[in-house]
Amino acid sequence: MLLAFGNFTADPSVNLQLLIGGLALGAIYAVVALGFVLVYKSTDVLNLAHGEFLMLGAYFALTFLVSENLNFFLGVFVLLLVMLVFGLLVHYGIMRRMVGQGFFAIVLITLGIATIIRALLLIFYGPTERARLDLLPQGSFEIGGATVRHVDLIIFAVVAGCVLLFFAFFKYTRLGLHMRAVADDIEAAAAMGIDPDKVYAMTWAAAMVMAGLGGLLFGHVTGAIDRSIEAIGLRAFPAAVVGGLTSLGGSIVGGLVVGVIEQFANGHLGTKWREPVAFSVMFLVLLVRPTGLWGRKDLERV
Amino acid sequence: MTAVESSAARPEAHTYRPSAFQRILPFAIAAVVPFILGATTSDVSFWWKALITVIVLVAVARLAWKWTPRGELTHREDMRLWRTPSDRSWAAATTFGLLVLPFILASDFTPPMDFPWATWFAVVNLVLIFAMGAAAFNLLVGYSGQISLAHVAFLALGSIVGGIVGVQWSSGNMWLALPASAVAGAVVGAISGLPALRLKHLYLLLATFGFHFVMMLVWREYLQEYFGFVGIRFKGENSPRIASWLHWLPGIDPDQNGEFVITGQFRWYWVIMPITVLSILFMVNVVRTREGRAFAAVRDRDVSASLLGINVARSKLLAFAVSSAVVAMSGTLASFYIGSRGEDSFNVQTVLNYAIIIVVGGFSSIQGAIFGSAFFWFLPEWFKWAREELWLVRDIDFLSDYPSEIDLAIKGFLVVIILMFKPDGLAGMWRDLKAWLGRKLAGSQA
Repeated sequence: MLLAFGNFTADPSVNLQLLIGGLALGAIYAVVALGFVLVYKSTDVLNLAHGEFLMLGAYFALTFLVSENLNFFLGVFVLLLVMLVFGLLVHYGIMRRMVGQGFFAIVLITLGIATIIRALLLIFYGPTERARLDLLPQGSFEIGGATVRHVDLIIFAVVAGCVLLFFAFFKYTRLGLHMRAVADDIEAAAAMGIDPDKVYAMTWAAAMVMAGLGGLLFGHVTGAIDRSIEAIGLRAFPAAVVGGLTSLGGSIVGGLVVGVIEQFANGHLGTKWREPVAFSVMFLVLLVRPTGLWGRKDLERV
Repeated sequence: MTAVESSAARPEAHTYRPSAFQRILPFAIAAVVPFILGATTSDVSFWWKALITVIVLVAVARLAWKWTPRGELTHREDMRLWRTPSDRSWAAATTFGLLVLPFILASDFTPPMDFPWATWFAVVNLVLIFAMGAAAFNLLVGYSGQISLAHVAFLALGSIVGGIVGVQWSSGNMWLALPASAVAGAVVGAISGLPALRLKHLYLLLATFGFHFVMMLVWREYLQEYFGFVGIRFKGENSPRIASWLHWLPGIDPDQNGEFVITGQFRWYWVIMPITVLSILFMVNVVRTREGRAFAAVRDRDVSASLLGINVARSKLLAFAVSSAVVAMSGTLASFYIGSRGEDSFNVQTVLNYAIIIVVGGFSSIQGAIFGSAFFWFLPEWFKWAREELWLVRDIDFLSDYPSEIDLAIKGFLVVIILMFKPDGLAGMWRDLKAWLGRKLAGSQA
């Protein structure tokens, strides 16, 4: 049969395990979606290279924390610093010249950046896969017959912390105000004396730092670190869209919703249904509410 | 007013009309001479043939240039596909080149410095197939402005239809599978274009990308249901062949077992080249018609287009249908040419490859799709040659240690550099070169 359905089970502990697994997956999606949202919100660029940024973060985490064996906090600091420099490089080297170009040209240039990062990582790290990171506490505990890993809780806490931090940043700091102003109307903001160039640079740097953090966290839960982990960038798309591409809090909700739906599709229908179901949910949300659940309402309808 | 005055002032001698015979003659020479050159086998050396080829190439282009209608053109003459002397001479030269190319590649000539000649034939065939698919992609994304990443989904659809019609129903009837996949591509393409009626830009891109994943699910399910993990075999007993009642055609001499199977680069070239040329001509003509102009109008401003009386919804769906039909056809052709399609034949990287092709070649230009796919397939070959043979370059160990990775990096850097500094790509460079040459020539005459 072409569309063979898997076995539906009503066993509560299985469903609870799926729910918890889905929430854990959703937390990772939220990390990635937050990166999309940060860039899209202030620069209007759909960054298809975010998965590669994340991969870059994971490989740098390998270098600094495993090969160089730095102290954990020092290593993370160095990692995030390096990613910040890379973010500035992406803006001043490439994206700055693309301001004002057509939408699809900018999407394609992020694909070009993704290709370059992938090729350079292959050259410098080779195609062999590495063991996943084990620097965060590895234990787990049980709730009602379902296993909860400590790593998942930490990831969730980090994402929630980041979102709160960004909320506070956008609301209470001067730079955050500038970012919102530029996102709203770049010309008016520039007329008010805000330097959009600087704001964009800070945005890319922040997105890269988020990707570094995401790579570090994702490196703990992925099967192995190799060049296939860039796919997380694509798989997190539905999460970002369902939450709304302009909403920070939406990325968490979207991530959790899509993560849980995917995990249930995975458990009840089979692994191959994971991506189609997630993208179908995204498609439905697009048709009903094109800006996502919490997105900005200035979408141009056709 | 100046236009009228100058045309009135222009002397009669400037209007020139070649006879029908003169208009056709360059193209007739371009069509016949390659076969004469190809039929004379080893008694003339390669260099003599190359010399003759170049002389004929120049002569054909010259004649086509000379015998072009000039002066006051009628509306019908103005609407011709090849209107200017330059267009006509390029068309004649391209015809000649396309027909003489397989004979050159099939000859047992070894160029100096081990320049990669033997592998070129396969590359040329791939270039032709990819040019067809990329041109259709450009028609949708460039001319019609409908952003879609569901491109590879239609290649997979072409493989599915090829598998059903060409492998399961009949063993190797590609001639039926090609039109079937065009029809299937048009229908599914119009359906996949439905979100375009409601969504635009970013959101349309995401919706079509969702369609990509749904199609990949269908592809995997289809494979596992009927073919298992080895994938579909389009080779061997499933190779396309010429029916026996057509064996009287010139140039077709059946093999030992009385069949004429399409295998080997030379035979494939004569199947792929006409299909590619016809479908590219078809798309060039679509762009010139009312529908094609409607595509561009909808792209530039859909509200104004609808006020001009263009049915925007119909125009968008038609763009999706035409593009998807050609892409699905190129998918079927590629499946039969490559010989097998498996689970991992289509992935996100394939989408990226087509994006690289249309960016490097030149966005929203059908010519650019041809340049881009030629570049995409020839770059690895030339790079490999440079790595192994070229003086100085072959001494850099770093290059030969990471061949495919550096390939990928070159492509990525090129995409970024071209988008930043030369957004119209290779096709734009070609136009600039022609304009520069024209200025130079005009300057020397003055």
